[in-house]
Parts: sequence; structure tokens; C-alpha cells
Amino acid sequence: MALVDPDLTEVLATTLRVAGAALLVVALPAIALGFALARASFFGKSVVETLVAVPLVLPPTAIGYLLLRTFAHDGPLGPQVLGFDLDVLFTWRGAVLASAAVAFPLVARAARSAFEGVDPRLELVARTHGLSRLATFGSVTLPLAKRGLLAALALGFGRALGEFGATIIVAGNVRGETQTLALAIFEDIQLGADRHALLLVGVTLVIALGLMWTVEHLSRPRAPNGTPRAARGNAR
Amino acid sequence: MTRFELSVALRLAEFELAVELSTDARMLGVFGASGSGKTSLLEALAGWRKDARGRAAIDGRVLFDERTQLSIEDRGIGYVPQDLLLVPGRSVRRQVLAGPRADASVFERVIGMLELGALVERDAGSLSGGERQRVALARALCSRPKLMLFDEPLGALDLPLRRRILPYLVKARDAFQVPAIFVSHDPLEVAALCDVTAVLERGRVTALGATQRVLRERASELEMLENVLAATIDALEGSIALARLPGGSVVRVPSLGLAVGQPILFALAAEDVLVTTLEPRAISARNRLPARISAVHRDGGFCWLEAELDAAEPTAITVALTPAAIDELELAVDSSVHLVFKTSACRVLAG
Repeated sequence: MALVDPDLTEVLATTLRVAGAALLVVALPAIALGFALARASFFGKSVVETLVAVPLVLPPTAIGYLLLRTFAHDGPLGPQVLGFDLDVLFTWRGAVLASAAVAFPLVARAARSAFEGVDPRLELVARTHGLSRLATFGSVTLPLAKRGLLAALALGFGRALGEFGATIIVAGNVRGETQTLALAIFEDIQLGADRHALLLVGVTLVIALGLMWTVEHLSRPRAPNGTPRAARGNAR
Repeated sequence: MTRFELSVALRLAEFELAVELSTDARMLGVFGASGSGKTSLLEALAGWRKDARGRAAIDGRVLFDERTQLSIEDRGIGYVPQDLLLVPGRSVRRQVLAGPRADASVFERVIGMLELGALVERDAGSLSGGERQRVALARALCSRPKLMLFDEPLGALDLPLRRRILPYLVKARDAFQVPAIFVSHDPLEVAALCDVTAVLERGRVTALGATQRVLRERASELEMLENVLAATIDALEGSIALARLPGGSVVRVPSLGLAVGQPILFALAAEDVLVTTLEPRAISARNRLPARISAVHRDGGFCWLEAELDAAEPTAITVALTPAAIDELELAVDSSVHLVFKTSACRVLAG
């Protein structure tokens, strides 16, 4: 066996590319929505909250099917309606879209929690002392929510990495194009390549452990002076 | 003197806040029990409560009325909240210089006055309660406010620490001369800082006037009525300092930490002052001051005298007496008396 399995390298590269791109797609809108849900009062807020939560409980295959129908030839975003092909189905873009769709609600909800963890009165004091809304967001809200937002993004990245059901329906299982770790494990099991499947599972496990450790570390409450509470407790 | 014109209405969970007052004051005290609407009033003035109605104008500058609604950042307010609301994980320097109105010259002056020089690079989260209190005060002052709002700024501290921080508030008031509203349920703090005080009960102003008079009228509800007097240290005699009142009378106070020429504020409980119609001799109490009674108040079992020292520039001292004592000594307005109290009865608050 070669020192570095070329199949593994290719699958890992595709996985990271797809998950990374999915994260780029969802980061800004999900964080913006999280902020709006945490701070703003608007008509229909509970409807938006419900719609954001639905993908969390919907089977990924159902999400995949909805995306498939949306981008199909005669779908609302298909070539027949738009007049041109967005070239989403069975391409890496489809895999990104599928991963983004399942990661979005997780990032939005975690971002909302991160913003809710910031005392709004800190923002009011900053504005009282002359900072504009935007400057207050940049210098008070964002720095204080930063750890929670990074945890939200790590969570979203992890969810995108592990995405299977929606991806296989929208993007298929094309080696070097859409075949991520989850899809490659599925293929290895079907082909009876147990040793290779086990290797991929091991890699997946290592990535998952690293991500979840990061999420846990970032989600830990901080003491007022910025050090983790647990660390301060141990130091005493 | 600043003109405070407040006509503020705000629906609260328990009652409707309906503050109506118009007065001139250097620092306006709002005195009341917890839950009387004091914080809500300040939040309405700061623009934190969008549902506040009515009118608020400070020296004619309208914060809000039917036509005007200044944004939070345009109200020019320095706010010292009870829970301080310092941004976690940030140095004192960054806390204090956070606002766009702060500049280096104001910063240096404020930091020096509040004795925060050694702490500016420290994380505010690592400071003691009293130090954090001073940081919150520095942050408000550095925003170069047109109006200061103090929301029980000492309320979260224990009593000895409150008394140690009080001088910094006095210094800030005197050095910056910014119109201010000071909210507290501590009569001593209000007496030490505010020349005019409004009493707030369930959202309504039930008394308004000179602080000492307003507090005296409520003396039966307070645990202790304190006279808070300003003086300047004339001389030191061992453990005793001679403090000269504005009218010339000299009061002996404990000298601990005081220096000649230093202006001080000291508290004297109304219950600690004795009254005699004869010149006291052969008595251990060091303070024996001639005075003239300017008012006698009877409120059921409580009686209060107001006695003035120094006719030219009078200093009023409130004295608590029993009705029997007033009758026996035949005390009445314009009676000449001597006030007697021990040096240790004078508690220096700010020096």
C-alpha cells in the first residue's frame, strides 16, 4: 500500500472543497439571520424561526429531492424557466448546494444563540457613549459573540462534511467531482472493500473529533477576564 | 445650575411611570425604594425605552418630546449603570476610550482624578468591585457627556466600599460640572451629592425640593437622618482635624488621612447631636457650636430641629429630639442654642 492512498487524498480533497465552499455560501446569510432572530422583532418572526428549523428534522433525502425538483430541467430554477442552465445537478456545485442546505439551519441557530449570549445592555451603553449601531456591532457585539460564531461555523462545517442523503440525490457519486468521504464509505461498503471503508471511517472520525473538540472549546463559558471558567477553577 | 424639565410616562409591568418635575439643580437626586421606577426613568432619558412618552429637556435641550426623538448616540449621555456593564475581556484603557467622543486629554485627566493610572492596561474583569466602579465612571466621563446618569452606582458594593468610592463621585461632580441625575435609595449618598432631590414612589414624584429638607420630611421612614456638610481643613491637632465650615465655624473631625487645605465632606447623624440652651462647659465632647433654631418639625413621635450655624453664611444642621426635650427646653424658632457632638460622630466621606 502506498504511503499516501491516492483515492483517500482525492476523496479528502473533494470533501474539504465541498464543505468549505458550502460554509462560504451559508456563513454570511446564516449569521445575519441569526442576528436578526436574536435582536430584531418583526412580523412573521415565528414563521421564519419555524422555516429555519424545518431542515433540521426533514430527512436529508427529502431536502435533496426538493433541490432536485428545483433545479430540474422544468423546475423553478431549471433551464426551461431561466433560459440557461445553472449546471447544478450532478456537479460539485450540486454537492455544495446540498451541503449548504443542511448546514444553514445549524449555523443560523447556533449564531442566534451566540448573539443572544451578548447582553444587549452592553450594546446600549456603547451607543449611549456615542458609538453608532454599526460601530457597536463591530466593536461590542461581534467580538463578544465571536467564539459562539466560530463554534457555529465549525458545527456547520462538520455537518457539511458528513452530508450524504441530499448530496447523493442532487450531485450523485462522481469520483473526483462529488464523491465526498460519506459517499466514498457508502461505495466501499457496497463493493465489499471493508478495509478501505474502515480507513475512511477512521479519517472521518479523526476530523469529527477535531471539529467537535473545537466546538466544545469555543462554546465553553468564559470568565469575565476572558479565560475559560474551568481553567480558572483548576488554577485555584 | 441646570434646568431639569421632565414629563415622562412609561408603562411598566406593575404600574405606570409618570414623572412630572421641573426644577433647577446642580445634581438632581432621585430617591426611592427598589422597584419605584428609578432605573426605568433613567433608561427612558437615555433612549433605551422606545415606548417612553412625554418630554424631557435639560437646560432647554430636548431629548425627546412629541416632535423630537434624539437617537441614543446623539443624546450626549454618560451612563453609570448599577451593574457597570463593562465589556468582558477588555483593558481599562479600551473600556474608557471606546466611545468616539473620548480623547487623550480627557482620558488623562479622568484617569488621574480617579486614580486609575496603574490599572489602565489591566483587564477590567480582573479588577476589584471598587476599581470596576471607577472604570465605569471614567468611561462615562470620557464620553464628554452633556448629561450624566448615575443608576445606583454604588448599589452593588458593600457599605465600607461605598463610602470609599463616594469621594470619587464628589470629585467627578466638582471637576466636570456636568448636569447629572443621581438615582439611589441611600439617603447619605443623595445628601452628599445632590442639592435637589425628588422622591419617587410607584412611578410618581411625591416630594421635590432641597435634598436635606426632602430627606428630613421622610426621616420617620429612614433608618438614620444624616447631615452632610462641606468644610475645609484648617489645621491638624494629632488625631483631630479642624474643619472650617463656609460660614467660619470650626468643627473637629477625625484627622485620619487628611491634610491642611483639603476640602472635605463629612456626615453627622441627626441623632448624634445634643442641644443645650446654656453654654456647655466641662464636657468631653469637642464640638460645642452656637446656633440659632430656624425650624421645628413635629411628626408624631419624631421631632426635628433645624439649627443654623454662622448667621452670615449659614450652615443648617438637622437635630433629632424627643417631643419632651423640645418642650422642656422651650425650643422654638429663633431660640439661641448650642449644638454639642463628639469628634467621632463626624464621619469624613470625601476628602
